[in-house]
Amino acid sequence: MMHLTMEQMNDNSAVSPTLNREHFVKQIEAHLDQLYGSALRLTRNSSDAEDLVADTVTKAWICIDSLQDLDRFKPWLLRIMTNHFISERRKASNRAIHESYVEESESDDEPFSLFERLHQPFLLWWSNPEQEFLNQLLKEDIETALNDLAEQFRVVVILADMEGLSYQEISEVLDLPVGTVRSRLSRGRSALQKALWQHAQEPKNSPSGE
Amino acid sequence: MTKKDVKKIECEEAIRMLLEYLDNELDEHNHDSVEDHLHACRACYTRMEFESRLKNVVKEKAQEKAPIDLRNRIKKISEQF
Repeated sequence: MMHLTMEQMNDNSAVSPTLNREHFVKQIEAHLDQLYGSALRLTRNSSDAEDLVADTVTKAWICIDSLQDLDRFKPWLLRIMTNHFISERRKASNRAIHESYVEESESDDEPFSLFERLHQPFLLWWSNPEQEFLNQLLKEDIETALNDLAEQFRVVVILADMEGLSYQEISEVLDLPVGTVRSRLSRGRSALQKALWQHAQEPKNSPSGE
Repeated sequence: MTKKDVKKIECEEAIRMLLEYLDNELDEHNHDSVEDHLHACRACYTRMEFESRLKNVVKEKAQEKAPIDLRNRIKKISEQF
């Protein structure tokens, strides 16, 4: 967790060209649910997620002058949060985050399509399996599947599918080429679909063990 | 782009570009090709609908409400700005 001195806090008393304090606070309030949701998916832990959001808000205020365009408030905020998350993880693991990722070439990531699994003749004859599958998906299923993704894929899927950032915006947030974003997103979604499928095969009434 | 400029594509190519189509990340040329194919191919259209719904379900179910403790904490932090 960040600890800032009052001097650091007040250092930014100058009003940003785009946002004064009152508007900044309003913007934060408006985005707080989303910010917390993404923080929870990133950290996979509510206490760490709350710390991450609190640090992000403090950092955002300190560097408010770097916000050039109010319409870009959300990607700007997410960039601060994601970078802070990655840098804290680096510190914690004492090695570069990229090294902690599963090597892209080594990961078990044969393209997987839920649709192809569900859209099989014997299932189609029986009912509308795709719709049935979607109707039965629970919040817990999505959370488990997202939490199981390798971090490099999870971050990209969160930014694209929860936050709705464009590939270009994600590339800026993560400082990665757009082609890498494209590839990680594709593989992340494929892994997510595979996890949802595998989770759906498990007996529904068994305890999760967590 | 007029209709005759749209490049015809097969199912395999349309499916390869489907998620980027749904993300609005294809260039105009490819976007139109996928769209044209979807209008003509029921199987790919069904798949597109599934992927689109799944994307929405993930987005909707992954959302959270910020806990009240966090709201209070952020309020306290903001008072120091």
